[in-house]
Amino acid sequence: MEKVVIIRYAEIHLKGKNRGFFEHVFADNLEKSLRGIRHELHRTSGRWLVEKFEEGRAEEIAERVSNVFGVHSYSIGYLIGSSMEEIFEGAKLVAPTSGTFKVETHRAYKKYPLSSMEISAEIGGRLLETFPALKVDVHTPQNTVYIDVRENGTALVFCGSEEGVGGMPVGTSGKGLLLISGGIDSPVAGYMMAKRGMTVELLHFHSYPYTNEGAKEKVVTLAKILSKYTLVTRLTTVKVTKLQEEIHAKCAPELNVTLLRRFMFRIAESFARAHGYQCLVTGESLGQVASQTIEGMTSSNAVVTLPVLRPLVGFDKEEIIARSRKIGTYETSILPFEDCCTVFLPEHPAIRPALSFIEEEEKKLDVDALVEEALSTAEKVTF
Amino acid sequence: MIYLDNAATTRPNEEALARAQRYASENFFNPSASYGGGFAVSAEMGRARESILSRIADPAKFELVFTSGGTESDNQAIFSAARRGNAVTTSAEHAAVERAFNELKNRGVEPRFAPVDRHGAVDADALLSLVDEKTSLVSVIHVNNETGAINDIAAIAKRVKAKNPRCVFMSDGVQSFGKIPVRLTQDIDLFSLSAHKIGALKGTGGLVKRKGLTLVPLVHGGGQEGNLRSGTENVLGILDFCYATERKFATLFEDAQRLKGYREALWEKLDHSLYTRISPPDGSPYILTVSAEGTRGEVLSRMLWEEGVVVGTGSACSSKHRFSRVLTACGYGENILDGVLRVSFSPETTMREIEESALHMNAAAQRFKEKL
Repeated sequence: MEKVVIIRYAEIHLKGKNRGFFEHVFADNLEKSLRGIRHELHRTSGRWLVEKFEEGRAEEIAERVSNVFGVHSYSIGYLIGSSMEEIFEGAKLVAPTSGTFKVETHRAYKKYPLSSMEISAEIGGRLLETFPALKVDVHTPQNTVYIDVRENGTALVFCGSEEGVGGMPVGTSGKGLLLISGGIDSPVAGYMMAKRGMTVELLHFHSYPYTNEGAKEKVVTLAKILSKYTLVTRLTTVKVTKLQEEIHAKCAPELNVTLLRRFMFRIAESFARAHGYQCLVTGESLGQVASQTIEGMTSSNAVVTLPVLRPLVGFDKEEIIARSRKIGTYETSILPFEDCCTVFLPEHPAIRPALSFIEEEEKKLDVDALVEEALSTAEKVTF
Repeated sequence: MIYLDNAATTRPNEEALARAQRYASENFFNPSASYGGGFAVSAEMGRARESILSRIADPAKFELVFTSGGTESDNQAIFSAARRGNAVTTSAEHAAVERAFNELKNRGVEPRFAPVDRHGAVDADALLSLVDEKTSLVSVIHVNNETGAINDIAAIAKRVKAKNPRCVFMSDGVQSFGKIPVRLTQDIDLFSLSAHKIGALKGTGGLVKRKGLTLVPLVHGGGQEGNLRSGTENVLGILDFCYATERKFATLFEDAQRLKGYREALWEKLDHSLYTRISPPDGSPYILTVSAEGTRGEVLSRMLWEEGVVVGTGSACSSKHRFSRVLTACGYGENILDGVLRVSFSPETTMREIEESALHMNAAAQRFKEKL
């Protein structure tokens, strides 16, 4: 009797002729998530089975695959021989010992001497004898014991299932570059795009020595948490110190933030094009801060041609926080390391800057040279 | 690297550490064990206890409890001694005392904070006026960790006891132990120590306690440290603390004298059009706190770090907790508070390092002002 983890997938069955590709990517992602654990992954009639691992690690495996996008649900169960005796031994291990239950059997091996109904009835009866506190309820049972008789002389038994994260396998919907700041929003934005199958890699801007290593470390921590879902373990940092100093020295102070964001977008686009990303992803939410007005977004969009995806644009802060807690990034996001030094914060940032004014101010700067300079500071962080 | 942040922590003395490590790996027995090995370790710790204690107090009248550090010692002292009425302290205490005093509010004890002067030294008359018959604890930091200002704790304790003989007097001695001469008088009931400020490892500290004073433990368990601090003793840390103390005290007076000269030399070499002095001339020889007005100390400290000069700071670059609570209490304005650097020395500091640091500090403040 061998412990196994049974994985069911979400939307892949919708994918018609592309199904093979989706399944292949999904299996790859499962493998990535299980890196470091000895196991075998097998496909079996519409699900995946993780087998041949050290038995004590079933929960750890379940936990890891639960975070893989495309996983609809998963169960820990037993792979056993298909004799009724063995099926009963397995059922005893997974079955509840009290409350209401039913047994449901699926029989892929049609030549099995008993029908699905007969198997369910027989095993159900034996379980009732073994656990006197159990009661049968075929309509709304508290627990369902599943038996799956397979064609190769084996069977699976498990009881109930846990929900996975759902979504589409990462790697099936293109590549995006997430601008990650260290705040609450951007990790959530990255999570949401990855959930739709996008490969999301990370770009972080810092202005050392005005910001400190704590801010960068925090982003690395966020990136690590995010990588449980996105399966991407790379982060690029770009230093925008020179840029901020120049803007501060030459331009209208109320445009500090607006101008900096335009530079960040330019740098990001240039980086994205060089590395094959198809879009930029940001954590902006309409009206949340002074730079996240429609005017602010327009002024940033004006300097790039790649699409800018803002999955949180219509979300309230509370909704974003709730998601961030669920993902597990919230506690890190609220650590008090500033991603921007107060030296550069204007007292009254422009809320609705006119594009003409922005462009006029920007003429005071050597835009291309500053973008070049910033890009030259790009540093890859692997974790 | 020129390391001038010794008030934050010090480089562990290698010989002291090697000696402690050798002993702790060879004699790894639990000091509470009832066989010979355990007794031997316990006895060695006893020697360490006596050695550390005798440098600052009469072991016939005081005892030493080992803790995890200065913060634990302060908390142990405060929550044990301040159990009713009010508790009086200064507005320039280390966070370990200040936060604990604020917590007293939740436990029904009224905290009272006495004002300090521009250097961070307490106004003793004002402090005395806050003490009344309901005062259960008075706490006065010995050497201020942000400015180096020295409070005359013996004199203050004497006045406090004259006014209310029943209240407990404690002092945070983390920045004075092993750095300036200390002798505990009978009016001082409790005195906190930290090992890593004088060349030993982080994670060990002590609370010196007047014999006869009863304390209530914070940590309950196996009854170690006279039932005051349960938990298997940190033998390595305690012995290292002892050996580092021995070394530090061997040259305490000469070091203090020399560093006082260095402190003044550094101040002389700093560009006075850029830097304002915060530390008093009669403060700890180990600390010189200055401010480059209109800059950000945290940014300066990182600019200096990049050039191999390590100094501390009095402000953070964040919008929250931007200004030092202690220096705010000293009465400085935002411009000064923003640009604070704390330079703190050790006996290993050399005159060349002082000279070089002054050049870098002047250049960094200059550069900051040019850019912003």
